[in-house]
Amino acid sequence: MRNLLNFLAKYNNLIIFLVLEGIALYLLSTGNNYHNSRVVKSFRGLAAGIEKRVSNSTSYFHLREISQIQARENASLRTTIERLSGIENQVFFSVTDTIRHQQFTYSSAEVVNNTVNRQKNFFTINKGKLQGISVDMAVASGDCVAGVIVGCSNNFSVAMSLLNLDFRLSARLKSNGYFGSLSWDGSDPSHAILSEIPQHVTFGIGDTIETTGFSALFPEGVIIGTVSDFEKKGGDFYSIKVALATDFKKLRFVNVIGNLRKEEQLELEKQFQ
Amino acid sequence: MINRILRFGLIFILLFLLQVLLFNNIKFSGYVNPFVYIIFILLLPVEIPSWLLLILSFFTGLTMDLFSGTPGMHTSATVLAGFVRPYILRFISPRDGYEPGGAPSMQVYGFKWFLIYVSIIVVIHHFALFYLEVFRFTDFFRTLLRIILSSLFSISFIILLEYVRKGK
Repeated sequence: MRNLLNFLAKYNNLIIFLVLEGIALYLLSTGNNYHNSRVVKSFRGLAAGIEKRVSNSTSYFHLREISQIQARENASLRTTIERLSGIENQVFFSVTDTIRHQQFTYSSAEVVNNTVNRQKNFFTINKGKLQGISVDMAVASGDCVAGVIVGCSNNFSVAMSLLNLDFRLSARLKSNGYFGSLSWDGSDPSHAILSEIPQHVTFGIGDTIETTGFSALFPEGVIIGTVSDFEKKGGDFYSIKVALATDFKKLRFVNVIGNLRKEEQLELEKQFQ
Repeated sequence: MINRILRFGLIFILLFLLQVLLFNNIKFSGYVNPFVYIIFILLLPVEIPSWLLLILSFFTGLTMDLFSGTPGMHTSATVLAGFVRPYILRFISPRDGYEPGGAPSMQVYGFKWFLIYVSIIVVIHHFALFYLEVFRFTDFFRTLLRIILSSLFSISFIILLEYVRKGK
């Protein structure tokens, strides 16, 4: 107590000063709008700064939890992707839902008659107009090219096989995207010829050949076969021998692919020809 | 004693009127605002107890604030001036000390001493006052210029008043 009194006696000057100055500053900050707002603002700024730091560090401590949540979310998203892409890649699959922005319809069919030894080969499938098959639909075996529908009855359709001298298909090298015209030369049922690939293009034996989608028959990226041999044949173009991925001699189950937007595309293109 | 209180009361009222009626109306391009009322704090007797000095400073400032519509601004600056006054007096004390019972006047301690004494306290007072007025550190140097110019004017007026008082 005595010490306290001594302390007060010693510093009474300072204490009175601080008290009076405190009163003055209180008056200053409450009596004047400007000063008041400045004080409030700076206190708020200080508080906001501290809060920001605190939340920064707490968010750092919550990183583990956040990463667990992220991992869980990743897993569920992956599952969704798998499911969706599974539907996309599924071959025996038919969707007539036009509400979805779907370009291609797939319907499975069975080959009931087939030839490979003629110059103009056709095969017959067991689905026709009643099953929604129409002329100019593409036929694929697995996800490899097989032919194009050229005629339909109610329950059967005839498809021009790839092994037909009249068959033309726009095809490209998967590795670099150069495209050419694919046709069959009438000799070997397991090989076709890809022409019109310029000679400056580099590719190797074994490169994949796929469809381009230009013809509006086949979707883009349907496999045709692989490069088995090539030669420079006059002019500036390669003549590439393609080992067909489809084995036409045992063609059995096929998918008929319809392009829902074919008419639209062809009609538009017709205006400029 | 009573006599002295009356005299200081009179000085206070005169200074107050001078400040409010004359000096507060000097608006010289916004840079010069002399505050001469601080002379009241300067002229109080040397041996006045510091608590009394502080309280007198407080009420001087408060009165000024009431009439300038700036609560707290003059009060805090004047209390600061009152707080530092004893230390300044001790710091610049003349060789043979202060006369007992005397006021720090130019008559007794000379022009140079008085100038230093007035300058230090006026600058401290104005410094506090002007920075409390703007209340931020943007335009720091503009405010500093205002402080310097206003201090020069205040010091000049205080010296002038001291001459008048001496002549009386």
